[in-house]
Amino acid sequence: MPNNSKPKVQLIAPDSYPQMLSKPRAARALHTLRAPETAVKAQVAMEAAMPAMRAAVLQYVEEMERAADDMTRLFEAAHEIRGFAETAGMVTTGRIAEVLCRYMDDIARFGRQLDTTIVALHVTAIARAARAEDDNVRTGQAVAAELAALVAKRLSEQS
Amino acid sequence: MSGPGFENLKALIVEDNAHMRSLLRALLNSLGVKDISEASNGQMAIELLRERKSDLVLTDLAMKPMDGLELTRYIRNNDHSPNPFVPIIMISGHTEKYRVEAARDAGVTEFLAKPITAHDLFARVAEIVERPRAFVRCAGYFGPDRRRRQNDDYPGPWRRKDDYQITEAR
Repeated sequence: MPNNSKPKVQLIAPDSYPQMLSKPRAARALHTLRAPETAVKAQVAMEAAMPAMRAAVLQYVEEMERAADDMTRLFEAAHEIRGFAETAGMVTTGRIAEVLCRYMDDIARFGRQLDTTIVALHVTAIARAARAEDDNVRTGQAVAAELAALVAKRLSEQS
Repeated sequence: MSGPGFENLKALIVEDNAHMRSLLRALLNSLGVKDISEASNGQMAIELLRERKSDLVLTDLAMKPMDGLELTRYIRNNDHSPNPFVPIIMISGHTEKYRVEAARDAGVTEFLAKPITAHDLFARVAEIVERPRAFVRCAGYFGPDRRRRQNDDYPGPWRRKDDYQITEAR
């Protein structure tokens, strides 16, 4: 039996809408994307940006500490730290901020009770890691792992 | 020499953090992209999109007063959108599964988790260049095909076979 009804899904093939680059340019662009020279240029750009990014992370750490009981402000600052820190080479700082953000996000999403002690522990650990000369030390990584385990345990207790 | 291929590309960076905008600009520059405009939220981005054509949009998720999801929905669905097909790379530290799914359902082309690396950003751009995706229009969604995986061994049944119509862009 023929189907005369209006199609429910319309598929628009890539060849029938305007592409970001024409085909000849796309081939050259792919070459550029994979060229070692491009990687070197990008690395230079990343390294040039690092001092400013490290300074920004430290500013967000201060903002997070000032936020005290204002959890919205604290989350916003922690979120910026998680987005920035690892790119700035502050790996442990970024990882602890990631755990804190996930914890606060889960608590808010499922309407659970925020444990302010857990938040305070993370804030202290983030500040210490960020202000250490080299935040990527073994003790910092161990602290990050323990805080992540604590958060996982507390969330599982509340679920 | 890097640069060929991207020299005429017009990019738009939408990000509320000036440091991140600066880093993204520097990374695009290293590909040879010169024509880059910047906005600090979705509303500013819409104004810029009306003023100038953009071939690629890099946008953050969380911004005020208009976030990256609303911006993406505007670009894909609004009658005044200058290019509903423009590739959109969403860059966000909000990497929870439900947020990534929200971005996909808004119509983003690629999602890039912060912290970003040049390698990851370039991989997303390469994906757009090398494997442009079909667009889908159906009730409640317009945007890149959300199905990434294709199983050539799937024997059927093809329940929606007669639902499809391959068509020209509007």
